[in-house]
Amino acid sequence: MGQGSESKRAQKYIKDLRSKFPGAILEESSQAPDQITVTVKLNDLPGIVEELYYRHNGWLSTMLGNDERELNGCFALYYVLSMEGNSNKRENTWITVKALVPEKEPQFPSVTPRVPAAVWYEREVRDMFGLEPVGIPDARRLVLPDDWPDNLHPLRKDAMDYRYRPEPVEENYNFIEVEGEGIVEVPLGPLHITSDEPGHFRLFVDGEYIVDADYRLFYVHRGMEKLAENRMDYDQITFLAERICGICGYAHSVAYAAAVETANGIEVPPRAQYIRTILLEVERLHSHLLNLGLGAHLVGFDSGFMHFFRVREKAMQMAEILTGGRKTYGINLIGGVRRDIFKEERDQVLRLIAEIRTELDELLDILINTPNFISRTQGVGRLERQVARDFSPVGPNMRGSGYARDTRADHPYGAYDRVSWEVISKDGCDVLSRELVRAAELYESFNIIERCLTEMPPGPVLTEGFAYKPHTFALGYTEAPRGENVHWLMTGNNQKLYRWRVRAATYNNWPALRYMFRGNTVSDAPLIVASIDPCYSCTERVTMVDVRKKKARTIEYKELERYCRERKYSPLKF
Amino acid sequence: MLKLLKKALQVGEATVEYPFKPVEVAPGFRGKPEYNFDRCIACGACATACPPNAITMEYDLKQGTKTWNIFYGRCIFCGRCEEVCPTGAIALTTEFELAVASKEDLYYRAEVQLRKCSCCGEYFAPSRELEYVMSTLEQSGLPEGDRQGWRQLLEKCPQCRRRQAAVSVAEATGSRDRVQGGGQ
Ligand code: SF4
Ligand code: SF4
Repeated sequence: MGQGSESKRAQKYIKDLRSKFPGAILEESSQAPDQITVTVKLNDLPGIVEELYYRHNGWLSTMLGNDERELNGCFALYYVLSMEGNSNKRENTWITVKALVPEKEPQFPSVTPRVPAAVWYEREVRDMFGLEPVGIPDARRLVLPDDWPDNLHPLRKDAMDYRYRPEPVEENYNFIEVEGEGIVEVPLGPLHITSDEPGHFRLFVDGEYIVDADYRLFYVHRGMEKLAENRMDYDQITFLAERICGICGYAHSVAYAAAVETANGIEVPPRAQYIRTILLEVERLHSHLLNLGLGAHLVGFDSGFMHFFRVREKAMQMAEILTGGRKTYGINLIGGVRRDIFKEERDQVLRLIAEIRTELDELLDILINTPNFISRTQGVGRLERQVARDFSPVGPNMRGSGYARDTRADHPYGAYDRVSWEVISKDGCDVLSRELVRAAELYESFNIIERCLTEMPPGPVLTEGFAYKPHTFALGYTEAPRGENVHWLMTGNNQKLYRWRVRAATYNNWPALRYMFRGNTVSDAPLIVASIDPCYSCTERVTMVDVRKKKARTIEYKELERYCRERKYSPLKF
Repeated sequence: MLKLLKKALQVGEATVEYPFKPVEVAPGFRGKPEYNFDRCIACGACATACPPNAITMEYDLKQGTKTWNIFYGRCIFCGRCEEVCPTGAIALTTEFELAVASKEDLYYRAEVQLRKCSCCGEYFAPSRELEYVMSTLEQSGLPEGDRQGWRQLLEKCPQCRRRQAAVSVAEATGSRDRVQGGGQ
């Protein structure tokens, strides 16, 4: 720990950076054997991030701002890159590029023109900290509501009390404008497609075809980071983290706990690691079954939808048996878990797994042989490999485009490197591939759960009696059903966190969605959105604009969903 | 389609008759936290641990009471209260039907009496908590002779205890007057 004992794995990258950018690296520190932070000169920031991203197969996993004025007089920026693609996965590492922004001159050179994946992050830093990304192509607000006062940046330590709510005024968001002969603007929302959550989409259509899209999200921003920093103790946040998402909450809870554990050097007992792994996979089961069910629903195959949900119930029962909760397991504490798994419970779960496996065999067979399913999903909503390379998407969304990126394998945590399993990827780049990735992953989950349950070592499940160290920071990460979740945190005084940055999987998937819409028909839009399995609360309206007739009209979600399912009576004929 | 029909016939009914029949939950299910007033010593450990502040404690030093409150509307059924309670006064049950017609019915409160400091006469801590501490000390083998001294100490409020400690240190070092002059 600390400076000097830097990670060996990261040395080849650092050495290269030192030779290409002489004098740019000011400091190195390491948080874990595979987590290293390099502080660089502000002006070299875009170049260094680009170098790691494109020349060394790095992916942008998260980026955050931090108000460190009371620690070192500056604001800090952290760009967290996952360095992958080594033939030996043990060489994979996390490199965080840090730069300090002086208080008097709150601006920094934008990385977005060189690495497009940084766009949402830099817009967010601008909203939350008032640091200006100079040269960013899209300078609109991202996270804050349109009626939020201009010079109030909530995550600055001296900005405001966390209970403060400004007066609402009318919202006014500048959607992009696409002009051209025959283009119609289609507003989609305010409630979204497939999950009935709030998001405002604008589809630019030419006849039935989508030419471009724009969207405004964060209508359900809950200010959790501010809340956690102000009101909660570090050991209570595990429970808040679990409520970030209604589906992959447990993955957040594990990522949070792991970050605190790494930052404080707390060793988690192996048995607890196995239990966490089992529950993470139970979560994947119910989430993937839900998404496959929704896919069936959107192609008009409702009886299939019902059956997927019937089978999903068994996954919920598993969770109930193992943890006492169907969805919010509530069993993570810093240092391990609160409940052991006994023989009786293990046998019940193994029985349920065997049942789901046979049920799923039959159901998938029926789904794949539904002619409508293949014809509606094949070649639809393509996430091209180059777009994927530029935007760092994650999860089945990414693995459907031929990249075998999976945090469980790239940066093993829990018990994932102690049981054998395979990363699933398909290269169709379309909705079909993404659904097939999910289907195949279910079988991997069955195997992982079975192995873990039978091979789990005995021993304690919780480490107690550690000391909480102030002002240490680290990453925690998990592969949630939708993809990698990354939590970055810095501990503070009085059992509180100084800064907590949660990056949920969907956050990395949204920016590429625009490109996935292009060239598809309006009736495919709900299906495309559903295929990235978006999660609104982690990170939602539809307006359609006719570019030829220069008309705009808002379509209700129910109407669009009906159109997606029946593909008759287009709501666009107006 | 035929395959699915066969499947549907084979599965039969998948829905349950709830609410006309009760549903069974797993034995370790985390449902409504139940509070047992007789066991509670009002130590406040549950309130400190409760992540969403569903449990809160309030002192009324004029009336001499400490109130234990729970608002079930905020409870996230994590079970931390059960885990930290030294006396087992609060525990999660398997009950999950918590709907009520009025929000008021989601509040539950209990009052315990505070003890007056034997020295300054101010209310300071719940009598039950002090009794609990005393009996724990006794059970852990506190010799008979020491009990009286401990009891006297526990009956004083923290301020008075601190003052007394300062005085005895001062006496031991022979600077009593100075401390009293400065400390009061
Ligand atoms: S179960 Fe959790 S949220 Fe509910 S009262 Fe107990 S500690 Fe609070
Ligand atoms: S922890 Fe137990 S004894 Fe203490 S106040 Fe809460 S319920 Fe009462």
